[in-house]
Amino acid sequence: MPTIKMTSHLYRFFPHLKNRTLSTPPGSVAEVLSAINDQAPGFTDYILDEQGALRRHVKVCINDTIVIDRKGLSDLVQDGDTVFIFQALSGG
Amino acid sequence: MDDQQLLRYSRHIMLPELDLDGQEALLNAKVLIVGVGGLGSPVAMYLAASGVGSLWLADHDEVDLSNLQRQIAHTTDRVGQPKVESAAQALQALNPETRIIPVPEKLEGERLQELVENVDLVVDATDNFGVRYAINAACVRAKTPLVSGAAIRLEGQVTVFDAREETSPCYRCLYDVQEDEQLNCATSGVLAPLVGVIGSMQALEAIKVLAGVGTTLAGRLLLFDATRSEWRELKLPRDPDCPVCGNAR
Ligand SMILES: [Zn+2]
Repeated sequence: MPTIKMTSHLYRFFPHLKNRTLSTPPGSVAEVLSAINDQAPGFTDYILDEQGALRRHVKVCINDTIVIDRKGLSDLVQDGDTVFIFQALSGG
Repeated sequence: MDDQQLLRYSRHIMLPELDLDGQEALLNAKVLIVGVGGLGSPVAMYLAASGVGSLWLADHDEVDLSNLQRQIAHTTDRVGQPKVESAAQALQALNPETRIIPVPEKLEGERLQELVENVDLVVDATDNFGVRYAINAACVRAKTPLVSGAAIRLEGQVTVFDAREETSPCYRCLYDVQEDEQLNCATSGVLAPLVGVIGSMQALEAIKVLAGVGTTLAGRLLLFDATRSEWRELKLPRDPDCPVCGNAR
């Protein structure tokens, strides 16, 4: 099963995901995000827009490589992979 | 280098990775730092102390009392002064040899492009996405390396975009953010030493690019989580469809 991790800031919105191992069945990024939403209702509303694309300030990585296809979310997440989700920062 | 310089920079020169040549490269270097706040303060101070020859400091803000918790180039008695003037005083006291050029303006358009073309490296230490996009586009056009950092709350990010490299991604490959999604330190807060951690990393990467030392962060993004004191390294590929550096531009 792929393991899902995210930045501390995202856990503030989904506190019950914190301090536990989160995993989903393998599949496309879209399927993985949908499976997270089953465990944390509202999750995809927070990170996807109305068209189902990643919101522009959100990034998904598979095994530490940033996913470029934020519209189709077609990249495949396999058994043993780690998905990491983070947000753009601007403060200086 | 004269005897005073050999002594001042001796701890650099004794590093085999840097040596006399590396220090000479720093002394001849021209750097533009955009934003002289939380990140820009440590960047400017470390680059001046390191002997970078010329520093352009761009910021149109004035020093505010609420800045002093983290913007360490400024002081209580300089509240109300333009940040670039305040920082120039700190830097000249630190290293009178560094040439400081204050730019008390909101940098945009041709003026931004002209400055970016005139320097060897740009450091982005700004606090909003609009300016970050403009700086990135100017750096891609001019093929000027860009050291980009951001810090807010308890999280920071730092990377290098080197448009001199054919395969290098740019800031726009990474982010495409609307202004309304913006968070800033005034509304979100930021832990003081976090900007020191990220700003120091930016200064480190700038020196590596300028002196040709080691492997820079080009193509990699570092995320820092201060709550766990944890770094994460992510590979950042170039987006072939990027409107700024991609094939379709
Ligand atoms: Zn790009």
